[in-house]
Amino acid sequence: MTHTLHRRGDRESLSQDYIVFTMSAKGLNEEGSAERMKQFLGILLKHHPVNYGDMVTGNCHVKSQEEILQNIQSTSIIHGVFTDEQDVVEILKELKGADLGMSVVVTGVHDETEKSCRKSDLAKHTVENSLGIFGQHKKLPADEILQLTTMCGHGMVPANLVERVIVQVKRGKKTLREGAVELTRPCHCGIYNPIRAEHLLRRLVPLVTLGA
Amino acid sequence: MHFERDRKNPTRIYYVIDEDECVECSVCLRSGCCPTEALYQPELVWPRTVRKNFSDPLKIHPETRIPGRGTEEMKTNEVTGRYRRGMYGMAFELGRPGVGARFHDVQKVAQALAALGIAFEENNPVTKLMADRSKGLIKPDVLDEKVLSAIVEFMIPAERLPQVLEVLDRVSQEIDTVFSGDIITRVGEDGAVPYADEIRKRGRFLSINGKSNVGLGRPLAKV
Repeated sequence: MTHTLHRRGDRESLSQDYIVFTMSAKGLNEEGSAERMKQFLGILLKHHPVNYGDMVTGNCHVKSQEEILQNIQSTSIIHGVFTDEQDVVEILKELKGADLGMSVVVTGVHDETEKSCRKSDLAKHTVENSLGIFGQHKKLPADEILQLTTMCGHGMVPANLVERVIVQVKRGKKTLREGAVELTRPCHCGIYNPIRAEHLLRRLVPLVTLGA
Repeated sequence: MHFERDRKNPTRIYYVIDEDECVECSVCLRSGCCPTEALYQPELVWPRTVRKNFSDPLKIHPETRIPGRGTEEMKTNEVTGRYRRGMYGMAFELGRPGVGARFHDVQKVAQALAALGIAFEENNPVTKLMADRSKGLIKPDVLDEKVLSAIVEFMIPAERLPQVLEVLDRVSQEIDTVFSGDIITRVGEDGAVPYADEIRKRGRFLSINGKSNVGLGRPLAKV
């Protein structure tokens, strides 16, 4: 499961896109992990994530904070999305101090997350990169659409929904912000970045021409 | 999804879900998009159940006990010790992004890799569906099933990377879908990412962004 990998875009856009998440190692540190993941989410919440959620329950644009916190289980995967590198640094410092014993993964532009680690006196242990897309590229939507769909790694934000939102914004039925939130809701885990989506829609909407 | 005309009242047109194309991700149900609440989840029976297991992130795989269609892979590596220096983890996600894949295409990729003598990740839902792992053969009754994403996952010694990429380039032209490629490594003692130069030297795409496990999990694996 590599749900936060394969987010597409240029450096400027991806530099506003950080995810910090945790999960238990099954059979190794699973016992008591639900409580520790609650503490993890508590630390994330102090830094005002633009989205957060638990793969078991849902994201904060659909479920209440109370419901997400109460339902954390040992099989949970807890995520928070941030747009500012400084927040990531502060979170990593706090997580290091809290010593929860839970694995923590940061997704973002690698050389920037490297800096975040250094500033918080941590070192990367294991890394993962995307090798890109192979196969029948003709089946894919335009890259501008993919930049919006790939922020949900489980494919819960389809290209059709992005197109629908673009039309609604174009016709004045939704603001850019409302359109971005509509795209955020189906991404159950809470890893979709609504702020980045709004920026991408702002760039994309003027380029689209509606038919009669 | 397509349109059909009502037989009794031809002025009435409605949407019909194409069951053969539907991957059972349930996103339509959760979205509440149907104004007349006509959508419902039919009872699924084998082999159609695999569609939901691989497409709906809320479904927890009985084998991996993880929601979604993958494994813990590098996310808990400091605890599991799964990826060690000198080895690369690789995963190829058939159908991603957003296209979907049938298991006969998953099998083509698995067969090409099996021919290299690659051992597939044990705790992976696709591996569990294999009838013959040494040949990369998937159980015949699921071959026509379509899913949103199915991950073929394995580990290789670092020196085999060029050979694996060559095979994947070839087989990617023989399938009727797309796949996204992932590569994982334990960071070197000097902080270096061993595959980065190798991939860039070959003029291949390597994302500027990605995932980093920052090593806070306990107990630490004895590596």
